[in-house]
Amino acid sequence: MHIVCVIKFVPDVDNFSYNYETHTISRNDSQMLINPDDACALGFALKMKKKDPQSFIEVVSMAPSSITSQLENILRVGFDKATLISDSLYAGSDTYVTSKILSKYLDKIDYDCILSGTHSIDGDTSHVPSQIAQCLNLDHLNSIYQIEEDTFNNSSAVVTVENEKSSITYEIGLPAVLSLSRESSYRLPYVRYKNLNLDVSDKLNIISNKDLCFSAEEVGLKGSLTKVKNTHVKTYETRDKKIVASDDNGVEVVYNFLKDKGFI
Amino acid sequence: MDTKIILKQLEEMLSKEQVSTDGEALYDAAADRYKKYAKARKVLNVPTPIAIVYPKNTEEIRKLLMYCNDNGVNVIPRGGKTATEGGLENWKDVTIVIDAYHLDSIVKIDTYNSQATVQAGVPLQELEDELRKVGFTTGHSPQSKPVAKYGGLVATRSIGQFSTLYGGIEDMVVGLECVFPDGHVSKIKNVPRRSGGPDIRHIAIGNEGTLCYITEVTIKIFKFYPDNNRFKGYLVKDVESGIKVLREVMVNGFRPSVARTYSEEDAAQHFYHFYENKCVLLFMSEGPKGIVDATVKAIEDAVELHKDGIVKQVDSSLIETWFNQLNWSQKDIDDEFEGMIENDSHSGFTTEVSADWETIPKLYDSVINRVKNEFPRAKDLTMLGGHSSHSYLNGTNMYFVYNYNILCEPEDELIIYHHPIQKIIVEETIKFGGSMCHHHGIGKYRSEWTKDEHGSAYYMLEKLKEAFDPKGVMNYGTIFPKEDGLKYIE
Repeated sequence: MHIVCVIKFVPDVDNFSYNYETHTISRNDSQMLINPDDACALGFALKMKKKDPQSFIEVVSMAPSSITSQLENILRVGFDKATLISDSLYAGSDTYVTSKILSKYLDKIDYDCILSGTHSIDGDTSHVPSQIAQCLNLDHLNSIYQIEEDTFNNSSAVVTVENEKSSITYEIGLPAVLSLSRESSYRLPYVRYKNLNLDVSDKLNIISNKDLCFSAEEVGLKGSLTKVKNTHVKTYETRDKKIVASDDNGVEVVYNFLKDKGFI
Repeated sequence: MDTKIILKQLEEMLSKEQVSTDGEALYDAAADRYKKYAKARKVLNVPTPIAIVYPKNTEEIRKLLMYCNDNGVNVIPRGGKTATEGGLENWKDVTIVIDAYHLDSIVKIDTYNSQATVQAGVPLQELEDELRKVGFTTGHSPQSKPVAKYGGLVATRSIGQFSTLYGGIEDMVVGLECVFPDGHVSKIKNVPRRSGGPDIRHIAIGNEGTLCYITEVTIKIFKFYPDNNRFKGYLVKDVESGIKVLREVMVNGFRPSVARTYSEEDAAQHFYHFYENKCVLLFMSEGPKGIVDATVKAIEDAVELHKDGIVKQVDSSLIETWFNQLNWSQKDIDDEFEGMIENDSHSGFTTEVSADWETIPKLYDSVINRVKNEFPRAKDLTMLGGHSSHSYLNGTNMYFVYNYNILCEPEDELIIYHHPIQKIIVEETIKFGGSMCHHHGIGKYRSEWTKDEHGSAYYMLEKLKEAFDPKGVMNYGTIFPKEDGLKYIE
């Protein structure tokens, strides 16, 4: 089975840099992490590979070249190929343009299933997976909580989708775009110590606009119709701090506080 | 020899009930708190012992040790299971753990001669509780007090939180009984002092189960004066300022039971409600009122002398409250274990070293600097600091404390995080002429540096092993470095 995982690197919320003039995240200067939902997609794919070592898993990401080392670490966990789509022309692309760029590459390769996360912690629009599905003329399900491993094959999958109100199980024909949520139990393993310096350069595929041939007007800020009007820094209220001793009185204060807030 | 035959013979030697082959118990016995996280996640990389045996007396231990010696079976002596450096970890395919569970008798409490005799499996807390009833104390209070047992305390050269007054366990042991692998039982009699050759108690004290099995100990006991306890606490500018005050008190001849200096980072863990981003210096004085008064006066004089380093005095009741919650119980250990199953975190690690007064501040700065600059995962550290908690006439200890976000598989946690930090601490300590192991023992995970620790005196240690355990069946890999153990370390 040939599985493609489309993933996004997102800024570490504790350590990122934002360009207030262009209203874009400076991905080159920020500490980047794998988007948590996308990590679940990787975790599920790897689980399938353990079950069927003949499976081939390709990881695809559009990002600055500065995340190459992180992609290499993903490969060191056991993936077969990683494709980094990277070109300075693509900087500032909105979700629609990003979807077009990714889809152009995906349209050129074989796959039985495309996995992704549902939401990203930076934008949280959840546009890209559904737009990719649209571009590739595939079905799409998001907020997937569980994929029944035994039913996952070249032609279909049984998945459970959860939202606040309900949990629904679907059978979906493949290929399709399946987007997982971080509430799923799939977990991307860390690189094992013995593989920390493993040479994976032969599995890394870096492509640019030379390969995808978009015009400068179609991509990046120029090609993006979505414009950020304004942003603001979230302000937090200062709360009163109360220190209590670890005695009966202190316990009572904490108990009453938790009770007032409805935790007890 | 075939495992089944060994188990059958062990059962014949003792009884079926005294030989446990329960899978969960054997897994638990394969490692100690050094590999707590890997153990909780069920990914231990060491063999499990073939059995845990529970002898009921010295004679049964003698038979067991002779059997193991004759048949090449590795032996791990076990008490309260609070080891932290791999001393209870198993590195051999054919190993039995000899647990002191049934050696649970308080043999004698002799208040007139200020000594008590207990079997190896008596929990420290149990003896302490009995002594309190008659107005005495063991004076020994390691953090593991509610769990630790006397055999283990003596075998690991343990130390307690009141050591500055009462001393380490080595200062408390009057006499003991131990069994060697050839079956010889030695009983060292209980006398106030003697000059009959080298002090042979120290062959057993701190042997970490590598030379003999300790079956019984007699320790000093002390009159207890809880009503006289006095506490003092200060915020200080830096670690060195706190150490200077500790030294002043000690070299002037005073012995507070607790005398500590915490780095700012470590203070945040214990004294978050009053530390004000400063280091913390604290004392507890106990004993007869006259001595306590004199000790408190000496502390105040030392603080006055070094007032440039003092930021402010803190309310004594804050120190007293902290003091009353020092020990961790079996429940704390179990809670941490459960937490490690669910979360990618634990309560951190420590590495404790010692050096003279002049060296300790330099050593502290040097270690912190190297860890921050050389440790590849320094960005994952959530806490790095330390405290001095046991002082002597010529120096003190430094208890490096660190914690981190565990961003690796549980199997790799030690090699990626703890071991590189520990290596820096040990390297710097040995470079500065200190001791790499102040009170946790060497176990298996500092054995790679045992020769560096002892230098030319390692000869003496090696000869003891050759003499008392020539077949090498006692706690393989502990204290004495083994090439084939490196696969579990690196």
